[in-house]
Amino acid sequence: MPIQYADGGVVAEHTAVREAVGVFDVSHLGKATVAGAGASDFVNACLTNDLGRIGPGQAQYTLCCAEDGGVVDDLIAYLVNDDEVFLVPNAANTAEVADRLRRVAPDGISVTDQHTDLAVLAVQGPRSRAVLEATGLPADLDYMAFVDVEHGGRRLRICRTGYTGEHGYELVVDSDGASDLFEALLAAAGEEGGRACGLGARDTLRTEMGYPLHGQDLSREISPLQGGARWAVGWRKDAFWGREALLGEKAEGPRRRLRALRATGRGIPRSGMPVLDGQGAVIGRTTSGTFSPSLRVGIALALVDSAAGVDLGAEVVVDVRGRPLPCEVVKPPFVPSHVR
Amino acid sequence: MSAVPEELRYTQEHEWVAIQESGTVRIGITDYAQRQLGDVVFTQLPEPGQRFATGDTIGEVESTKSVSEIYMPLAGEVLTRNTGLEDQPESLNEDPYGDGWMIEVRPDDPSELEGLLDAGEYAKLADNG
Repeated sequence: MPIQYADGGVVAEHTAVREAVGVFDVSHLGKATVAGAGASDFVNACLTNDLGRIGPGQAQYTLCCAEDGGVVDDLIAYLVNDDEVFLVPNAANTAEVADRLRRVAPDGISVTDQHTDLAVLAVQGPRSRAVLEATGLPADLDYMAFVDVEHGGRRLRICRTGYTGEHGYELVVDSDGASDLFEALLAAAGEEGGRACGLGARDTLRTEMGYPLHGQDLSREISPLQGGARWAVGWRKDAFWGREALLGEKAEGPRRRLRALRATGRGIPRSGMPVLDGQGAVIGRTTSGTFSPSLRVGIALALVDSAAGVDLGAEVVVDVRGRPLPCEVVKPPFVPSHVR
Repeated sequence: MSAVPEELRYTQEHEWVAIQESGTVRIGITDYAQRQLGDVVFTQLPEPGQRFATGDTIGEVESTKSVSEIYMPLAGEVLTRNTGLEDQPESLNEDPYGDGWMIEVRPDDPSELEGLLDAGEYAKLADNG
């Protein structure tokens, strides 16, 4: 997927998703299937979130943690049935997640990396429903639900998921059918005032929602408690990777927390910039930052030391290449979510 | 193709210099530069009264994709800056040679203008990327 399309630009593509619809080729995402008797119980004993909270035909945001509680990857788990779970991890981490599962998988449970076999297209925005309907695809799905259908002689998995904060769908299709489907969706999107969107808009859209990006806001060094993903941990479960370390950290309280910062001055925070308190002491570091096309100000996610006692509404300063940028600590998302 | 107006002078750093009747010069970034940058969302320009030598870093242009420095094309004093860019940085994309101008400068040595590229020379540079 390109950063942006030639006739678009990040702002135009971002706006299309917020106001109409955008079509993304997100085939870079990983795809893997865990199958065999008791596959869902097996996955549930490894990944953090509780698959018992959802039923077949529903998906869930979950984490693959290391034993020390660091996040190997964040992913979406699609519960097909008790004996099959489809996983969508991040591209760079798919092999690692699959390996970790495979190493401890009991006999009869297989973990298949389908990264090159399958493509994923995302249709996101208030007009996404119309685009699916015009393409002859079922669109009447609850948030985080999915359905398998036949379309043009191909099997398609249609999911009410996404990474933009808008009503949207992600479509899993055989790689060799992806190009035709992308063109069909794009043509339908054009009728709805939509367009093709790239990685740049994907990042500004997810940052406005405060969604973490693995490798920046969550990582092997940033635990779910620190990265604002404690809701994606099934704390009552008997087993999941990293359980002991995370329960310990939860009891103690995380030493730092991901905070949402909204610039009150002119300037754009980017990842890796120091965050200072009113006295100029370093109290954290930004992990993501961008210009918010919706708000037309700089926004950032930052890991801030718990000891700094920074609360919602507090003013902090981001050091933007030596220039102080005042920011307010706000409650994410930066713009209202419309996923439901 | 990027627009390269005949009447302007240019630098290797993809800036343009327009000579005003009063002898001052107006400075901005070229159409080629704004295309490379993508959507411009922020500019940081020098204060009027500041003096810079040729090649000094005088500000920044930030797009959704990247940050670029702005360099002084010729030594002189900053007379005014385009405050309109604070609210409408997209002018740099929409009208790089017009509403997207950045600063006005009084050159220390007007003969420095002779060392800048003319439109033909710059067109070749922008062509080669």
